[in-house]
Amino acid sequence: MGSVGFTLPWEHRISPVAREGESRVEPSELEAGQNRADGVNPEDAALAAGCLAGNLSAFERLYASQGARMKNLARNLLGTQSEAEDAVQETFLKVQRSIATYRGQSSFVTWVFRILVNTCHDLRRSRMRRKEQSHDEPEEGSRQPEPRAPGAHPSLRMALERALAELTRHQRDVFLLYEVEGFRHREIAGMLEISETASKNSLFQAKKNLRGMLEPPRSHVAGGRP
Amino acid sequence: MRVDCTDLERIFRDGDAQAWLALERHAEACPACAQEIRAWKALSVAAEELRDYREDPALWSQIERRLIQQREQGIPRPTLWERLSFWPGISLGWQTALPSALVLLLTVAGGYVYRHRNVGDEAAGNQLLKSSTLAEVERTEREYMKAIDKLAMDAKPQLDSPASPLMVSYREKLMVIDGAISELRTEAGQNPSNAHLRYQLLAMYQEKQQTLEEVLETKNDR
Repeated sequence: MGSVGFTLPWEHRISPVAREGESRVEPSELEAGQNRADGVNPEDAALAAGCLAGNLSAFERLYASQGARMKNLARNLLGTQSEAEDAVQETFLKVQRSIATYRGQSSFVTWVFRILVNTCHDLRRSRMRRKEQSHDEPEEGSRQPEPRAPGAHPSLRMALERALAELTRHQRDVFLLYEVEGFRHREIAGMLEISETASKNSLFQAKKNLRGMLEPPRSHVAGGRP
Repeated sequence: MRVDCTDLERIFRDGDAQAWLALERHAEACPACAQEIRAWKALSVAAEELRDYREDPALWSQIERRLIQQREQGIPRPTLWERLSFWPGISLGWQTALPSALVLLLTVAGGYVYRHRNVGDEAAGNQLLKSSTLAEVERTEREYMKAIDKLAMDAKPQLDSPASPLMVSYREKLMVIDGAISELRTEAGQNPSNAHLRYQLLAMYQEKQQTLEEVLETKNDR
């Protein structure tokens, strides 16, 4: 796995304000509320029932509560705004078609995200196939960056995006779902059809690899201790 | 709980709240671990740069229009894949393989029904015919599997050393299909006369065949 060429001491570029949020992140399961899609949620069941009844206002509520998050995940998985919008739209249509098959085995939101992740991978696969068939298209890495909400560290974001592209599919999915979208390992396991342990391992490997790509060469790394 | 430097990786991987607290306490007296923890957490903070939750009402209008359109045209019944809970998001491209699989399944089902209708009243004869139909299905299945195995052998070099992300993707898909086939075969083994399981199994074989053909086509395109 190669370096993405971002050799600045990136962790020092995170503002002290952002660092105050550290305790929110690790250990992951400490906080139950913030930004976590909880499976035991009456609103979740009401949404599922509304969608099952074909109620458009239920779909609208689903979009209002999860649309931005869905689009964000799709954009991070697919890389472009327009493909992310296509993926979200296709996911809503699939939910409308398949809602009768939802059996409540996971939370409704988890089920919807599972469809979204699969839809994104299908779009990604068909894009790769198109690219392999016509060699004239530019490489993924040479895409023009698309406008996004101004972040505190745009160069860090770009470096992170490039490094994420180097991860395996599972590692990337788990990192984005856990660290960016705030899902729990239990939910991620349900979405990706893996075990919770596999989800934790993928996150660990993802972070270890990202560190290797984003940090300047060091004399020691995590896990390399006696 | 007491932890030391050797526990760092284990706690990063799967530490509970108590273990993390113990590690933080240890790090107060261990600068190297403190640095590792800071770098580890910094990744989580950096991930926030990838969060852009701006509202997009225009997208909802577009989705709403499509939902109404789909409802007015009559919501299509979910495809077999969408109904299979283990694989709800499979693309339309893969679903196009279904019609041919369905023709095959209908032929098998039709044959079964036809033979069943001609059975006499004798229970023994009935049982014998059922068994022979089952044996025929199993024999055909074995032949089909052999043919797919040949395809798999041809595609093996490409899949073992994938030269492109697409090939990696095919390999992953084939692993999922093989897993599903294995599960269905186990179930079919426990309940050999369940025609529904046989249909699902045949659809999976068809999917595998299609995927392997695409792998080989990709190879030939190169």
